[in-house]
Amino acid sequence: MSTLLKIMLLGCLSISAFAEEAKLENIQVATDKPALARGAEDWMNNCHTCHTMKYVKYSDLLSLGIDKAKVDGWRGEASVDTPLIAQMSDADAMATFARVPPDLSLMAQARDGGPNYMYSYLIGYYLKPDGTTGNHIFPETKMPDPLGISSVAGAAQRTEMQNTAKSITSFLTWAADPHTTDRTRLGYYVIGYLIVLSGLLYVVKKQIWSRLK
Amino acid sequence: MSGPIINWIDKRFPLTSFVKHELTDYPTPRNLSYWWNFGFLAGIVLVLQVATGIFLAMHYKADSTLAFDSIQHIMREVNYGWLLRYMHATGASAFFFVIFVHMARTLYYGSFRAPRELLWWTGQGLLLMLMATAFMGYLLPWGQMSFWGATVITNLFKVTPFIGENVVIWLRGDYSVGDDTLTRFFSLHYLFPFLIIGAVIVHLVALHTVKSSNPSGIDLKDKDNIPFHPYFTAKDLYGLGIFLIVYSVFVFFMPNSLIEPANNIPANPMVTPSHIVPEWYFLPFYAILRSVPNMFGGVVAMALSVMMFAFMPFLDRSRIPGGARYRPIYRIQFYLFLLDMLVLGYVGYKPPTNPSIVVVGQVATLCYFASFFVVPFVSKIEERWLIKRGLPAGIMELMEREKRDLENRTQEHRRRKGDLV
Ligand code: HEC
Ligand code: HEM
Repeated sequence: MSTLLKIMLLGCLSISAFAEEAKLENIQVATDKPALARGAEDWMNNCHTCHTMKYVKYSDLLSLGIDKAKVDGWRGEASVDTPLIAQMSDADAMATFARVPPDLSLMAQARDGGPNYMYSYLIGYYLKPDGTTGNHIFPETKMPDPLGISSVAGAAQRTEMQNTAKSITSFLTWAADPHTTDRTRLGYYVIGYLIVLSGLLYVVKKQIWSRLK
Repeated sequence: MSGPIINWIDKRFPLTSFVKHELTDYPTPRNLSYWWNFGFLAGIVLVLQVATGIFLAMHYKADSTLAFDSIQHIMREVNYGWLLRYMHATGASAFFFVIFVHMARTLYYGSFRAPRELLWWTGQGLLLMLMATAFMGYLLPWGQMSFWGATVITNLFKVTPFIGENVVIWLRGDYSVGDDTLTRFFSLHYLFPFLIIGAVIVHLVALHTVKSSNPSGIDLKDKDNIPFHPYFTAKDLYGLGIFLIVYSVFVFFMPNSLIEPANNIPANPMVTPSHIVPEWYFLPFYAILRSVPNMFGGVVAMALSVMMFAFMPFLDRSRIPGGARYRPIYRIQFYLFLLDMLVLGYVGYKPPTNPSIVVVGQVATLCYFASFFVVPFVSKIEERWLIKRGLPAGIMELMEREKRDLENRTQEHRRRKGDLV
């Protein structure tokens, strides 16, 4: 039945080949704590005005190793177990953008393309001839260019901004599934264990079957 | 088995004889290949699903205002909650994968033919229950795809003659999918796996009555049968190890590859996702549903497409043993059928906006049903042709033996009933 496997494999390959759309930039998100802490800070500075992350609490930021004084400054009177709620009220957002900016806790997993989509969207702003901004990835978006990448002058400044976008995306990817690092670490152990176990079971099977004439 | 405790039990309960009959003395064809591991694997996945499901249910809240949050609570705050959830979500896909291979094995080797029709039909029943369980489970995270998938599928029951509207409301518990739908789906999602366990027991009783088929025929001489334990317990456990490795790769390294991104957005009855797709294991049937322009026709075609397997014992008229192994034409039919399934799966995944995709889907739907309808004719012609051409040595003998075996079974049965002394 090896033909069967070949057919299935071929089918899978062709499906994934068709499903890909080229437009998005591919990035490698960071998973180390210092990078995530930087991303969290960038997020607090650039996105917190409008966006909520209701599944992420101030205490989660502390767990990334961000300075306690800094977190205390952000949360003010609120307890450390308060989620990150947008500074702008929903009513003000409705009045300004005609919609409430979406919660970003799970955003890195809520769009096709995941982190690549998010990153490409953030750096996808450009200046139109009439002076307004457009976006390559989400042309009709109501979000004003949050990083100001549409109006940067030099290549160096642009690279810096891309790095900010990347670190914010890394932070949001972490926020969407905070146990990713634990998960993959455990995964190596589990799979290593299973490989050894299967090897032993194979020997046992061979041994038992060798009793047959 | 011996020892005072076992003795004590044996006087009151047939423990030793049961273990002997079903395991240590249970005759199993020695030539079973690894394709025969999948029934056992299905049983293990069933246990995994029940085990993880019960623990998830301790933290899950079946309330439309709390369900989505409670999933995030499990993913973030419950100790190893993420592991439970990813195991359960991946497990559903694993279950379908294993069952599909199990069915493909049965189709390939013709194991559905007499005397295994009831075994095959209980399997068909298991497939339907598995589909129902997975469908109801998918509503529970209360994401956009959960909500709209359930809306689309329950809406199909509108085509029930005369009482369609009422059936839909009865299923949903409301005019649209909402809190009442969620609570009843949760209740039933908890119930169904236990019905499946019951049905698996029936499936296994039937298996142990007719015994396993094998790659080269249906009946084997006694010397080719070996006890299930320890030979097949060892082989099954090794297969389980390999299966768990693949399963773990998905659970630990790519758990989100099987979860639609839109399901990470809370259900919103006001916003329809741009493209509603079911889980991968429903895609071929979903493609058939959409390929028929008329809704009633589509629903009938989809229901029929799942049920077509049940007709196989009637459709296949060939007496050549070993299924596709000695039947070149049936083998081609088998691979074409798999190919058609893949095409349908692809069509089901794509939005129906592209007219050429729609045409491909319609052709593939026709091929799907045609591949069943041609079986009676092709199998008979193929049998005649193969016999005329001359079967490999031993095959005719096998056929004779199978015929005698069937007669023996009938006699045995009548003896047991007391008709014959
Ligand atoms: C001035 C307010 C504002 C700021 C600041 C802001 N956003 Fe937004 N954001 C919005 C609005 C409004 C929308 C809704 C856009 C729409 O649906 O058209 C949105 C939508 C989004 C989306 C979803 C896009 C989609 O596919 O639906 C993402 C992702 C996002 N914002 C990320 C960010 C990030 C990251 C930052 C910080 C760098 C940020 N936003 C800063 C207002 C803002
Ligand atoms: C909950 C799901 C199921 C479980 C746990 C299960 C379990 C098993 C087991 C343990 C065996 C014996 C080992 C083997 O032959 O692989 C078996 C055999 C069989 N199953 Fe299933 N099964 C399930 C679903 C199905 C389905 C969906 C079908 C087909 C519609 C099916 C059809 C058969 C047949 C025909 C056999 C006998 C095949 C042979 O021995 O040659 N089963 N099943």
